[in-house]
Amino acid sequence: MAVTASTVEQAVTPVAGLGSPEWGGFDPSRTEDRGSGETWRGFRAAVSLGWQMQANWTDPFLFFVYSVAKPVSAALILVVMLQIISGGNDPEYRSFVVVGSALWSLVMAGLAGLAWSVLDDRERFRMLKYTYVSPADFLIHLLGRGVAQVGVGAMGAIITIAIGIFVLGVPFDPAAVDWMGLTVVMVLGLASILAIGVMLAAVCLQTRQESWSYPDAVAGALFLVSGAVFPLAVLPLAVQWIGLVNPLAWWIQGVRTAMFPGGISSIGGTGSLWTDLTGSTAPDLTTTVVVLLVTGSLVTLAGTTIFRISERRARDRGLLDRTTGS
Amino acid sequence: MSVPSGPPAIDVRGLRRAYDVKPTRVVALDGVDLEVPPGEFFGLLGPNGAGKTTLIKILTTLLLPSEGTARIFGFDVVEDVKRIRRIMNMVAGGEQSGYGILTVREQLWMFSQFYGLTRADGWRRVDELIEAVGMGPERLQRVSTLSTGQRQKMNFARGLLNDPWILFLDEPTLGLDVAAARSVRELVTAWKAAVPGRTVLLTTHYMAEADDLCERIAIVDHGRILAIGSPTELKKRVQRESIFRVELDHLDGGPATLAALPGVVSAAPAADEGGPADRQSVTLNLILEEDGALGGVVVALSRLGSHILALRKSEPSLEDVFVELVGRGFADEDGPAPAAFAPAPLVDDAHVDVA
Amino acid sequence: MSVYEFRHTESPQAAADWTRRQIVMTDLRAVGGRAYPRINGMLREPSWVFFEILLPFLATSAFVFVYRALQAPPQYVGFVVLGGAMTAFWLSVVWMMASQLYWEKSQGNLELYFAAPMGFMAILFGMAVGGIVMTSMRAAVVLVVATVVYGVTFEIDQWFLLLLVFGLTLAALYGLGMILASLYLVWGREAFQMNQLLIEPVYFVSGLNFPVMNLGLVGALAIATIPLAVGLDAMRQLAFVGSPFPVGTPSVEVEIVILIAMSIGFVLAARVMLAALERRARRDGRLSIRWQ
Repeated sequence: MAVTASTVEQAVTPVAGLGSPEWGGFDPSRTEDRGSGETWRGFRAAVSLGWQMQANWTDPFLFFVYSVAKPVSAALILVVMLQIISGGNDPEYRSFVVVGSALWSLVMAGLAGLAWSVLDDRERFRMLKYTYVSPADFLIHLLGRGVAQVGVGAMGAIITIAIGIFVLGVPFDPAAVDWMGLTVVMVLGLASILAIGVMLAAVCLQTRQESWSYPDAVAGALFLVSGAVFPLAVLPLAVQWIGLVNPLAWWIQGVRTAMFPGGISSIGGTGSLWTDLTGSTAPDLTTTVVVLLVTGSLVTLAGTTIFRISERRARDRGLLDRTTGS
Repeated sequence: MSVPSGPPAIDVRGLRRAYDVKPTRVVALDGVDLEVPPGEFFGLLGPNGAGKTTLIKILTTLLLPSEGTARIFGFDVVEDVKRIRRIMNMVAGGEQSGYGILTVREQLWMFSQFYGLTRADGWRRVDELIEAVGMGPERLQRVSTLSTGQRQKMNFARGLLNDPWILFLDEPTLGLDVAAARSVRELVTAWKAAVPGRTVLLTTHYMAEADDLCERIAIVDHGRILAIGSPTELKKRVQRESIFRVELDHLDGGPATLAALPGVVSAAPAADEGGPADRQSVTLNLILEEDGALGGVVVALSRLGSHILALRKSEPSLEDVFVELVGRGFADEDGPAPAAFAPAPLVDDAHVDVA
Repeated sequence: MSVYEFRHTESPQAAADWTRRQIVMTDLRAVGGRAYPRINGMLREPSWVFFEILLPFLATSAFVFVYRALQAPPQYVGFVVLGGAMTAFWLSVVWMMASQLYWEKSQGNLELYFAAPMGFMAILFGMAVGGIVMTSMRAAVVLVVATVVYGVTFEIDQWFLLLLVFGLTLAALYGLGMILASLYLVWGREAFQMNQLLIEPVYFVSGLNFPVMNLGLVGALAIATIPLAVGLDAMRQLAFVGSPFPVGTPSVEVEIVILIAMSIGFVLAARVMLAALERRARRDGRLSIRWQ
């Protein structure tokens, strides 16, 4: 049948009788984009799904232990290292490592959450293809799953900081906290974490089952250049450049500045590239927020671009519904 | 290859299996008794949830029974697990098992090692079986790139690696298209013909498959065996007579003429199923005591000057057998029982158009 | 004989009756068979070079810099480098041994393994062999590169003893991995999540970045129960002989005895547990339930 204006019109005009929408017939308006409402619904559903999957596999006690044992142990490793060397005479540095370690559990959660969502759905539940062909944007879906995982990680982070304050003697003055600044920094930082997680998820779309360990590996590498547990000033100058464009480093710096003003800076300090470039000892909170916004935006843009490229490549090569495994 | 003598290939007594699942306990097998002699191609036919897979998992030593006993060639499925695993193999349908990163050849070779073949013997046997199942062109293809049908052929080759004395096929054509399913059935048939002493237990919910392949069938539902017999015997349960639909150019004296013949139970006009509008004909349903009575009918029609335009035999299907036994079809979970048995729709297999 | 026939045996009873040699050879072949996809997979997907070697090296480097920030004695950098190398084996045990059966079950391979006549321990050994090949490369790279880059100086008097301790540590580690793999047969998804508890907490109590003796009683308990702790402690004592301060405790000889006991004990325990848990999995129908 030739394609004419009338045939096209016929195709888009709702049909009467049994073919009409009231009878379940084709309604062309259903193919239209429903805008941000649909996106928000999809995101909410993904967050709920991610939370269910994280929370429904065991009883609440074990879930709580999982959210505590892992981040607290990571912090204790560093505290003991510090104790061995300094004999416990450096409470400021103890605060530095406890906060950095606690925040790192959020990084791990965000990276792992997105990457493991891809691997879980593709390899274990074989649901990736069904999620992908649904109207919901796949990237939004993954972000929702990642947010749920970050929520779980946040519990661990809060508990670790609390243990640091109440048990390990980390000095903390609630009156000195810049709560507004902290909120802004956290929002921008979490966005950056999710952006990096999206990049990792993009890689996992291309790789096979053994990619389960990749989030740990990537987080381990980022650990080196984020000023999480040691100031960037300790690194060679060439490596410090990577730290200065790393939004995670600025995020951690921002949290420390907001929560523990006057403490050790992860970005600045004697011998740091920051001090060489700017002359100041450490960046203030406003500078930190601005740089975090810029670097975070760049990472978000890069993450989204890489994800779309990877997604297209995966479609091109039929990777969305394959199973691997050895 | 001779059929082995000795204990039955499958000997099941009072087998029960229950699962403790929420919210209510599920009884998957509820007192099953079954005996399959060596060399038989035996089928378990039933809808989803009937207990077929549970039974096969017990027989393949993957699941323990809750009560009762089951033996494979005299070996107990609970105590003699290792011995059974040396002489059996299994192929299930609807699976995605396998290591995607390996080629077909490598995947099969890996399993050959699990069955104790030497390295060289393993490769040789794998190559032979790959050719036998028609996967020569795909032998070096990665498993992750195989189609569903190809994967199932590979699974079938895996099932034959150790030359099993008993092969368990758990819905082997599930999810396959018509051509692929036929291909798998042909492979099974060819294997059975080549080694007639081997035993096969097939579970399926496809009637035609059971009818086509199995020497005997057990119809299973809700964990119980409802009937066992050959396909012919089972169909005779619901229709002892032979039913034919005959189309004639004319019939002097009407159906009563035929009804009086020896061996004819009844002759009645049939509903018009359509056909060429300009064809004048008389269509009758003939119920005969047995197929042999048809000869007398044909002779009588010839004497009456009637010409037979078309002749078809009506046979009940296995679903009719199931409906007769259970009161519902395979698709109806809780549907009402049929009021009375009605002749099954005519099947085309026996259609003879003599016009 | 048709192409379908392979071994001519008179009866299924004769075919089922294997000699001791057949049983042993089948298990050995199964080890090789199961290691095959693991090693082959490593060669076919090269991204592991980046993710399994380079990035873990960077993670180890982070702890090196923590000590540099604290201006710690140079021997502590050596501790971290050696710990980083051994981390690779622990992660291999957790992700590629313990979790593997969970993944096999969800893919449908597990029931095929159990329906086959080889011993299941052979499958676990095959997985271990495959894992060791892959992980050794990672550990070697981390060790060599980090040693060169960070100027670590090892002082080794007894190479044979060091290699013996290393071998025993691997045997004990993978024996523990077999026990964990057995548990996963029954635990399912809960066990998979438990992996998370086996990483940082074990790093902490095993003294991956510091001599475990600094943990007091906790360290002593770790030495007695965790192969990573006792093996690493013994290797440090053998690799940094001339250290001006105590590197580890107890003595290497005691730790070798502990490792031998762990190796034998874990493997035997895995064998017993595997049989018991397989029976329980067959009883509960967990060999082929996915996503549970």
